[in-house]
Amino acid sequence: MSWIAIGALAVVGVGIPLGMMAASALLRPSVPEQGKSATYESGEIPTGTARSFKFNIQYYMVALLFVVFDIETVLVFPWAVIYSDAVEVVGITRALGPMLLFIGILLIGLVWAWRNGAVSWTKSPRATRRKTERGDA
Amino acid sequence: MDPTVVTTAALQSQLPEWTALGPVIVLGLTGLLLLTIDAIWPKRNANTTYAIVSAAGAIIALGITVWYLVAGTGQETHGGAITLFSEAIVVDGMALFFTAIFTSVAALVIVASHDYLKGHENSAEFYSLLMFATTGMALMAVSNSLVTVFVSLEMASLPSYALVGFLKKDRGSVEASLKYFLIGALSSAVFLFGISLIYAVTGSLLLTEISAQFADGGVAGFAGVAGIGVLMIAGGFAYKTASVPFHFWAPEAYEGAPAPVSAFLSSASKAAGFVVAFRVFAEAFMPLLEVTPAIDWALAFAVLAVLTMVVGNFAAATQENVKRMLAYSSIGHAGYALIGLAALTAGGPHNGDVMGAAMAHLLIYGFMNTGAFLFIAMVEYWGVGRTFEDYAGLSQKAPLACVAMAVFMFSLAGLPVFGGFFSKYALFASAVSAGFWWLAAVGAVTSALSLYYYSRVVKAIWIEEPNGNLDVIESKPTGLYAAIIFAAVATVLLLPGFPIALETAEAAASALFA
Repeated sequence: MSWIAIGALAVVGVGIPLGMMAASALLRPSVPEQGKSATYESGEIPTGTARSFKFNIQYYMVALLFVVFDIETVLVFPWAVIYSDAVEVVGITRALGPMLLFIGILLIGLVWAWRNGAVSWTKSPRATRRKTERGDA
Repeated sequence: MDPTVVTTAALQSQLPEWTALGPVIVLGLTGLLLLTIDAIWPKRNANTTYAIVSAAGAIIALGITVWYLVAGTGQETHGGAITLFSEAIVVDGMALFFTAIFTSVAALVIVASHDYLKGHENSAEFYSLLMFATTGMALMAVSNSLVTVFVSLEMASLPSYALVGFLKKDRGSVEASLKYFLIGALSSAVFLFGISLIYAVTGSLLLTEISAQFADGGVAGFAGVAGIGVLMIAGGFAYKTASVPFHFWAPEAYEGAPAPVSAFLSSASKAAGFVVAFRVFAEAFMPLLEVTPAIDWALAFAVLAVLTMVVGNFAAATQENVKRMLAYSSIGHAGYALIGLAALTAGGPHNGDVMGAAMAHLLIYGFMNTGAFLFIAMVEYWGVGRTFEDYAGLSQKAPLACVAMAVFMFSLAGLPVFGGFFSKYALFASAVSAGFWWLAAVGAVTSALSLYYYSRVVKAIWIEEPNGNLDVIESKPTGLYAAIIFAAVATVLLLPGFPIALETAEAAASALFA
């Protein structure tokens, strides 16, 4: 029986927006204009289509490195909070050692990625050309 | 004082307990060492150095594993399994047995990859990914909690996706990697959902505690939830072992991947899937067979085993592409190994024999299947085509490797002259004595069928005349050659050595049911 309330909530949750859209479709005047159908880009004029949109793969590398260290922070935080208590209980080696090992493994990965050019931004010849052209003008 | 405690203490006093994880640690450190070398000299593409370092790492890990196996670490004779990290990790005979499979396959694949990667830009990445995947697999073998099972499964899977797509300019490789990744992500999600349901029912993630809960009848009232959880977990393992119904990724991934990676995935990764499946089902879900007859997972595995044997072998028989044929044949072999789970019964006296035979089959399969895929790698290296016709007359150019290939093919088919025969024989015989004669019958019939497509390869390389396809062959890749010959020698040596392997495997499996 208690599920009836959930079902009623679902019906109302779907029904109200659909009803509002239907009501406004019946009541409003329809004046199509180009400006209304264009994608809103905070005042910029949109160019191209949404599907041909491409972005630089290097954002992905940076994002990946960020996520690794972001998650690491999540782990380090609670560890840091209990650190001094933990040292008293199990001693400094067992409290500090595993975390140093963990960060060490991540550091090897970061250094490797860095040295192999994961964070050095490739120069786009087209962008450089455009910049110099604009500078000349 | 309790006498068992004394023996445990006396025999394990030579080394601290964490050293039981030695093979895993060595494999992981080797991967990190490769990255460090590449970070210090990123411009120098030292393919040979990386190959030597990673092969050394794999062989040291193999050495430690074999030493532990022989010395009896974690086995019944020497105080039983060693548990670490609040029982999340367990080192026992089964873990060591499978670690030996992973490390030997990894060593073979590394030696073979040295030629395959010649002139390739990022060889350090390849070797380190391979080492990390092997680390994950070795960790799968020692997982004793559903969390470690899941984490180690992902640790083995993620590098595998990257390895399949390693030839990033090759469309087939990238496509294979994407398919593998998508199906992998889906089945990980299913698997994780299954874990959460089991946790909901039992309130624990440790396999031993789950088992105790089920034995107590703690599942009463939640049999439906537990059943769905068990089914979802079985699905996750079916993916990892490339069994029906989650086998679709395997032919694509094995065909598109660089051939050494296919060898690695179809042998080591499959065995890794089986070791966790064996441990989770034999240890955690075994009481379900007894207490809750509604959740008859052994029957589910029996159905899957039959389907996998039939689908794998029939699909393999229709292939024109040799690599794809081998991919389907490896699905068929997953079906044989599944008998190790399907023929289990509650308190059955033959449980240890059945599972031990499946483990021994996976050991021999590890060598013969790796060897067969490495032969494909050599053909790919030469640039000879991919179909049976393209293989015509290869024996005129590479007689020794073709002898090895014939050994692999006949051994995979189970002809009575090579190791593959005994492992299949032991598997089917134990299934019969456990009362599952029909599983053995399906296995025997599909094995007979498999002889047809395996002998097609042998016919092509030995009997047919070359049709101008061999003109592209110029060099003899030493590393590939050595790895193929070594795998062949191991396959042949496992013929006299099979009783020892079977005995070790059965002892290790029986310990799970004790």
